[in-house]
Amino acid sequence: MRNTPPLPPVKARRYTTVCQFCVVGCGYKVYKWPQGRDGGPKAANNAFGLDFTRPQPPMAGEWIAPNMHTQVVDRDGSRHNVVIVPDRACVVNKGLSSVRGAGLAQTLYSPERATRARLTQPLLDQGDGQKPVGWDEASDLGARVLKAIIDRWGPDAVGMKFFDHGGGGGGFENNWAVGRFFFTGVGTRTASIHNRPAYNSEVHAAGDAGLVPLTNSYLDAQLADTILVVGANPYETQTNYFLEHMVPNLNGTSMGLKQATFDGEPVDRGRMIIVDPRRTMTVATAETAAGRDRVLHLQIEPGTDIALLNAIGRLVLEYRWHDVAFMRERTEWQTFEAFQRSTLAVDRPLEQMLEDAVRVTGVTREQIETAARWIAEPKAPGIRRRTLLHYEKGLIWGLKNYQNIAAIVGLGLLTGNVGKPGTGISRLGGHQEAYVRPPYPGRRPALNVDEAVRRGEVKAFWVGGCNPVLTTLRAEALEQSLVERGEPVRRALAATRGRPAGQRIPAIVDALKAGGMFLIAQDIYPTATTRHAHLVLSAAQWGEMNLTSINGERRLRLYERFMDPPGEAIPDWAIMARFAHRLRELYLQDRNPLAANRFLDFDWKSDEDVFIDARYQFKGTNTDPMEGYAGITYDLLRKLGTDGIQTPTRLVNRIPVGTVRMHEDGHFYTSTGKARFIPAPRPWPGYAAKVESQRKRYRFWINNGRVNHLWQTLYHHRYLPFYQGRYPMPCLEMHPEDATELGIGPGDRVEISNDMGKVEAMAYPSDAVKRGHTFLLFGQPRGAAGNLVPDHVDPKTTIPSYKQAWADVKRLGPPPEDVKGVSFRPRNVAS
Amino acid sequence: MSNESKRTRHALNRRDFLKVSSGCMAGVAGVPMLSVSSPALGATPTSAYPVMEVARLSELKPGTTIPFAYPGPSSPALLMRLPEAARDGVGKDSTIVAFSILCTHKGCPVSYKAEQGMLICPCHWSTFDPAKGGDLIIGQASSSLPRIELRIEGDKVQAVGVEGLIYGHHTNIL
Ligand code: SF4
Ligand code: FES
Repeated sequence: MRNTPPLPPVKARRYTTVCQFCVVGCGYKVYKWPQGRDGGPKAANNAFGLDFTRPQPPMAGEWIAPNMHTQVVDRDGSRHNVVIVPDRACVVNKGLSSVRGAGLAQTLYSPERATRARLTQPLLDQGDGQKPVGWDEASDLGARVLKAIIDRWGPDAVGMKFFDHGGGGGGFENNWAVGRFFFTGVGTRTASIHNRPAYNSEVHAAGDAGLVPLTNSYLDAQLADTILVVGANPYETQTNYFLEHMVPNLNGTSMGLKQATFDGEPVDRGRMIIVDPRRTMTVATAETAAGRDRVLHLQIEPGTDIALLNAIGRLVLEYRWHDVAFMRERTEWQTFEAFQRSTLAVDRPLEQMLEDAVRVTGVTREQIETAARWIAEPKAPGIRRRTLLHYEKGLIWGLKNYQNIAAIVGLGLLTGNVGKPGTGISRLGGHQEAYVRPPYPGRRPALNVDEAVRRGEVKAFWVGGCNPVLTTLRAEALEQSLVERGEPVRRALAATRGRPAGQRIPAIVDALKAGGMFLIAQDIYPTATTRHAHLVLSAAQWGEMNLTSINGERRLRLYERFMDPPGEAIPDWAIMARFAHRLRELYLQDRNPLAANRFLDFDWKSDEDVFIDARYQFKGTNTDPMEGYAGITYDLLRKLGTDGIQTPTRLVNRIPVGTVRMHEDGHFYTSTGKARFIPAPRPWPGYAAKVESQRKRYRFWINNGRVNHLWQTLYHHRYLPFYQGRYPMPCLEMHPEDATELGIGPGDRVEISNDMGKVEAMAYPSDAVKRGHTFLLFGQPRGAAGNLVPDHVDPKTTIPSYKQAWADVKRLGPPPEDVKGVSFRPRNVAS
Repeated sequence: MSNESKRTRHALNRRDFLKVSSGCMAGVAGVPMLSVSSPALGATPTSAYPVMEVARLSELKPGTTIPFAYPGPSSPALLMRLPEAARDGVGKDSTIVAFSILCTHKGCPVSYKAEQGMLICPCHWSTFDPAKGGDLIIGQASSSLPRIELRIEGDKVQAVGVEGLIYGHHTNIL
């Protein structure tokens, strides 16, 4: 790696893109030029037109940090420099990069750097390890296996677990192709989404209430009086939304904007309420930006958000701060009646309900009062407070998915905080979105695919762009089935080696009958999951194809292709099309036109073909109202650059018009067009039996999630020294007194174990967590947090409680060699 | 390429090399080693970087910090005598280190918080560990704080080079 990045010459090719990582979707600019033709420091000699003979000024300057540059080789052997810098013109990030986005260039394939680990061609394991095969052979064998399974066992015997991402992992194009293949092609219900055991919404309750998951614009975070953040850590995981939109509200920078927007309405600097069992960097930075008196950190006990939210709701009602006008006009009133009786327990004395909430949550009565005031107390007589309610995985994967989401939606509806500037009831989001697929053929609650795999009902399991061996619940057990059930198939492949594909199928079917399972894994890198696969399919990544996605405010952009995929890797959509073609041929040979026609219409020639095909068929109707994109073409998106357009779009005089804020017209997606409260039987449901038994048995709560430096399973970052070096192992934050009691020091190797499995980690003593609580980095290749998570799911939604694991911790030894250089200073200090 | 930029490259390669080689080998089968043929290491200054006296060793009590500029007037830096031994620290107990104070995110000046033993940027709160080579603890920078290479000559603490690229520069010596 060259660490004095060269300057792009005036003639460098320029591309527009969006960060491939988190939901925020920051705009970036790509410069590419042949090696040896670098620009110069004089303004006339570089693509920025800036004078680099002097240092660039802080903030306003353009600086190519070392990680923003790399060198790539295209398929024709030509060598290029690539520089990827944040786009100042983008309304989302305004020129700001995060630690992750600043490393985009480093994620590119290069035969000279560690990213050469990429999968560059299909691989087949015939008993002696995975060996390269051509695409024709791979798709012929794979399609024959799938056909044999569908014909003998029916479509549900084909299981899948696939990305459901925007950004790096998917895009409209790849999601559409995958959906077409499995849902209208194969017709399987045994489908699941990258991070969970089923094919389902993570926020069914919001949908049932008539709300889309992403209601607001990022601008609303600059306008809100109060921002409520439940179960999320936006400094680390929605970084530039936090820094560019929430912080300006907290420190008063957006006051002018507020005054201009809300003429005649009292406005003030924003406040923030953060519900999180950890004192994170979000809490520390929010306090520094706003002052401690304007940030309320509610450090709850695990899984008790719902008790807290409902107690706040009850207080709002008690003080008559609820928005009666909104509720009368925009909600089904009778659902409110039920909600207040059961969820808010209005028939019980207030004191009793609050006492229960205080006991369960560990939060004080005063704090609950303050929260209610900040959320709903009118700013002046008759002038409602504008509160933006945000939530993410802490709530989604908490105690009881459905009731949790129903609780925050209920609080938002009660206070009328949706469809107006400065308000919203939204997920913060993890990855970007691109939910563009034909409808799932199954019902709710969706089938649990992990269980179907373990029980042997799945005969072929196709895993695409995800790594369940690291991330699913009860992950050790899943890996065990991949190993055990893969073995008979591997033997059949070995025994029939060298024969034409058609002749190998009977032996493979015999292996499947004997409990075997054929594993296809499609990815950009070898992973803990691909290593068990019989057939490995090499996909193109971000930058190697054109793709489109939306961010957390539904902003649709084109992420331009600027380099070739490595070797024979091809886009996911092209892989699906190859298999569809082959299946169609095989069914036609079989004289089964009905089945053959299920695999018709995969004749896409380009990324845009898929995009347009999906545009016509995916209407963005009442079931998926958020992502319809009428009238959009690549050409238009190119013109719109990194600002793009917010979905859904509609055509006005044949010109596509975007949607800044959802539900602004007062319409909700229910049969009556009004929003619904979703009542729960009681304010707090208590822990599920499997979870409770772990909780009683083990000393530590193992909260788990992401950290600032890293994305998902580190599929890129494990190869990038700056990122990998910070977390060579998963870190386990634990309270310093707990650590001392167990003789554990910073960086020590520890083992975390329970009845589900075990994980090794490096200890990170920190007062961010309370005693008895811990926080484990999820998805690190050297330790899968999923190993500890019980296989409990919310029966209503099939959503797991990933955040609800308990385990014991013991010291294994001193810091390993690669951990010795790691800093163990606090990660939550901002001043 | 100038000597100066070669030097920066080598220094960084060495750091990255150490991290990769120790960082992922154990757990990641098949990660190729970065091939770096033993670059010129050590603190011997090349001609490009000036040699500059920053402090008197005898005056550097634990906790002392001394602001200076290096390698040019537009590159503010801070010398610190830390309470503990530091990676690449100089002095008998390896406690003396110096870093560019321009945050490697967007260039705001970081300040040293002795109590926490870290350098904190006020703009977006990147924090850096001076005892660990200026590594990013948490925050939005994408490289460690550039480390000013120090040398002790008798009672003199001298700045002799820079490891890492200073914010706003495409090359450390403009
Ligand atoms: S905040 Fe998210 S989208 Fe923006 S640069 Fe960082 S990782 Fe990328
Ligand atoms: S300038 Fe230092 S964190 Fe952004």
